[in-house]
Amino acid sequence: MTLEFKNAYIKNNYTLIGRNEHKIQIKTDANLNDYYDEEKSVEQAEAKFQIKSIENLIKKEKLDFKDIDVLIGGDLQSQIFASSFAARKFDLPFLGIYSACATFVEGLISASNLLDNKINNVIVTTSAHNLASEKQFRFPIEYGALRKKVNTFTATGSVSALISKKPTNIRIETGTIGKVVDLGYNDANNFGACMAPSAAKTISEHLNDTKRTIDYYDLVLTGDLGIYGVKILKEYLKKEYKIEANNVMDAGSILFEKNELTTIAGGSGPVCLPLVLFGSILNENYKKILLVGTGSLHSKTSCNLGESIPSVSHAISLEVLK
Amino acid sequence: MKLEEYKKIVNKNSGKEDKFKNVFISFIIGGFMGLLCQMFCTFLNKEIGIKIEDASMYTTIMLIVVSSIFTGFGFFDKVVSFAKCGLIVPTTGFAHAMTSAAMDHKSEGIIKGIGSNMFKLAGSIIIYGIIVAFFLALIKGVI
Repeated sequence: MTLEFKNAYIKNNYTLIGRNEHKIQIKTDANLNDYYDEEKSVEQAEAKFQIKSIENLIKKEKLDFKDIDVLIGGDLQSQIFASSFAARKFDLPFLGIYSACATFVEGLISASNLLDNKINNVIVTTSAHNLASEKQFRFPIEYGALRKKVNTFTATGSVSALISKKPTNIRIETGTIGKVVDLGYNDANNFGACMAPSAAKTISEHLNDTKRTIDYYDLVLTGDLGIYGVKILKEYLKKEYKIEANNVMDAGSILFEKNELTTIAGGSGPVCLPLVLFGSILNENYKKILLVGTGSLHSKTSCNLGESIPSVSHAISLEVLK
Repeated sequence: MKLEEYKKIVNKNSGKEDKFKNVFISFIIGGFMGLLCQMFCTFLNKEIGIKIEDASMYTTIMLIVVSSIFTGFGFFDKVVSFAKCGLIVPTTGFAHAMTSAAMDHKSEGIIKGIGSNMFKLAGSIIIYGIIVAFFLALIKGVI
């Protein structure tokens, strides 16, 4: 299912990262030093991250809250706690969304779609907190569970983007809503392998719908497959869909490049993709970019029930005019 | 694509654990822990004059206290990521599981947070430990 957008542009963004991400090579607006950020718990801290990123985005753009029509937010906590609790601070119509790590792209698709109505400015926001999501999905924080090589590390931070009708140099051109894919794979340590089939399906459907080849894009940026996940994606695309993809990069594996965390497969979480997009990719010379947000739709209960891990990927294509 | 075929692609492209190295490190660290505890136990027995049964109990308590404090200061998980099962299998792992769960849920209050979540991981060790102990005692009693 691919939608075409006539008048959706990314106007501005605000990125904020946590303590573990300080050494990453990409540009951000703010680096926080404290996992708690003066809050009582990491969950509340994550909500505060979102509040900060939304407030600062509006300040950066010199707008007022009454100029914003809708706020779309999502995160990894149960009942999207951080987004809902950030939204209560603002007097804005709020849509809460969840697609795990594909949340940001889902938000961009929803926002671009809203802009075809009488709406002018939409803020899409997302956040993740390493400690909160480890507690949510994996083990207690300080529990010395051994990380495998295929494990990814949830990046801490929050990203807000202002999507507007007013033309800028980054146009959101099309959006593809992905299908939920489940091959029956059930290793909750290897998220790259869980999500690669859905990324491949979304890419192939996007190319079919738009009648393009993969070489049309200068870059296909996937969300958080990790260094092994990208390799799996490339081979799977070739075998299953006969697509030879040499222009695929993964935001998760870029994020923690040259970092002390190199023993793991890369970063993960909904902030990975927007952090790398705004902090690095958009500053380089890519004209046509396909963003593929990859989300693994499991929960702790579903894993304990012995269910396999379904995943969903959404894609949008960006046109960067210089 | 069938799951088996997909698993082949996954296995080909995923990073492999160095099992031999992991086992070797665990063996050395685990053995070293055993040596350390035996020295402590003997010290208590010979130098301070505590009975050998009591001395071994004090040694276990010492292990639990030290590893819980390490957990609290936030570097036990870093040590474990190097030492692997050499530190998870001894009582240190058990103490660590309880302390980390308690710390994790501290912000949710004493009753609903710490109290109800502390045994999250350790609970299964205790309950199945008791069941196994019961049957072993039964076998011993019959024989």
